[in-house]
Amino acid sequence: MAEGTGRHILGSFDNALETLRNNVLMMGRLAERNLANAAKGLFERDDDPCNIVIADDEEIDTLEIQVDQEGVLILTRFQPVANDLRQVITSMKSSVNIERIADQAVNIARRARKLNAHPELPVIHSLEPMFAHASSMFADALRAYSDNSAEIARGLKARDKELDEMNRQFARTCTERMAGEPDSVRGYLNLIFIARFLERVGDHATNLGEDIVFAVDAEEIRHTQASRTD
Amino acid sequence: MPISMESELKSPAADPSTASPEPRPDFIQVKDFNFFYGRKQALFDITMDIPERQVTAFIGPSGCGKSTLLRNFNRMNDLIDGTHHTGDITINGRSIYDPKLEIIALRRSIGMVFQKSNPFPKSIYENIVYSLRIAGRRNRKFLDETVERSLRGAALWDEVKDRLNESALGLSGGQMQRLCIARAIANNPEVLLMDEPCSALDPIATAKVEELIHELKKDFTIVIVTHNMQQATRCSDRTAFFYLGRLIEFDTTEKIFSNPSQKQTEDYITGRFG
Repeated sequence: MAEGTGRHILGSFDNALETLRNNVLMMGRLAERNLANAAKGLFERDDDPCNIVIADDEEIDTLEIQVDQEGVLILTRFQPVANDLRQVITSMKSSVNIERIADQAVNIARRARKLNAHPELPVIHSLEPMFAHASSMFADALRAYSDNSAEIARGLKARDKELDEMNRQFARTCTERMAGEPDSVRGYLNLIFIARFLERVGDHATNLGEDIVFAVDAEEIRHTQASRTD
Repeated sequence: MPISMESELKSPAADPSTASPEPRPDFIQVKDFNFFYGRKQALFDITMDIPERQVTAFIGPSGCGKSTLLRNFNRMNDLIDGTHHTGDITINGRSIYDPKLEIIALRRSIGMVFQKSNPFPKSIYENIVYSLRIAGRRNRKFLDETVERSLRGAALWDEVKDRLNESALGLSGGQMQRLCIARAIANNPEVLLMDEPCSALDPIATAKVEELIHELKKDFTIVIVTHNMQQATRCSDRTAFFYLGRLIEFDTTEKIFSNPSQKQTEDYITGRFG
């Protein structure tokens, strides 16, 4: 693939692309922070970080709209093609995935507040590796975006499979325990939901990876055998 | 079919010999072509196959050789002193440098439209039939039919049918350019060459010409030189990128503008050149 690496003759085009990119990265950093706060609220049984996650989500929503507007403006004003066009499309799609990851952080924070109101269920700590795995996938998706690394992006699909398996296993454990602890059914259900939210974080990180591969290598890996067996 | 050297003119759509069901992928073949203005070499080792009844766009920065190559297809460069070439260009299987080929017949079979519309200071009607009259066609019915067919083909008929005897110089810029296209297709050429045909037109006139190009490719093989990337994207099926007299990349327009193979192409189309 050919890669346009130099600066554009039109400096304002470079500036617009850079602003778009920075806003996507800023969304990513905020969503990352929200996910970390949700984990803190959940595992340290602290409602404050949960409330911060819910409050900060608005900023990410605003940025999503801004990225959309900037993307449309670039398409209108500069009519990008080839690598530039793929970058703009990927940025606009990435902002959607990041916003949804932030939504998952809010969902987790809300469930965490419910869990915090009751005695701790020891199984909650089995979620920590899953949380770490989903967060690490998201961090790597952001790194792939920031560094234009198709290599990092391509690795995400396989890691999503592991996350799916962790989710299945955790749901099985909770279901088994529910049978013996009928008073804690609501708590276990909240934990199952949280695991499901983390599994969705992995899906969105994978989507980010697929779009980054498209941007960098001009290759479509969504819904392909290659992506399924990676 | 070899390039027609007859003055017999038929509608390509009506003539089974020209409306072949399978378009040739190599209707225009450029083979190891080098071209020189005196001692200065303008084209280097160009080899490419231009498919029949498709639109092929030539793009590249000024001085890259795209217009030079275009003007070789109807040997217009022969009019410039001191030019010479090596290699060959064939159209529909026959070399345009074949000594037996009459240049006038060649030019009659290859219509050309220029950047600036250049109607003759004559009536609209006479602009269309001028070359036919020179070729000895006198039959009024034939001339009338050709005028209507050509003007309809150039999407101009409805606008001028009531004033065919008025001066062509009274038309708008866009209409004049479409008149030149009508004049070019009056001879039923096999190839239509367009050298930046819309660069002097407003967006509406440009859109009309672009729509016309889309219609004309059903009957003609079209090669268009353009500096307008969006126009190349909209109008052409294949795009050739030239730089410093060399053909850098030639592929489907979709490939060239979405994921070109060569860095030079990508740098040019994304505005990173220079």
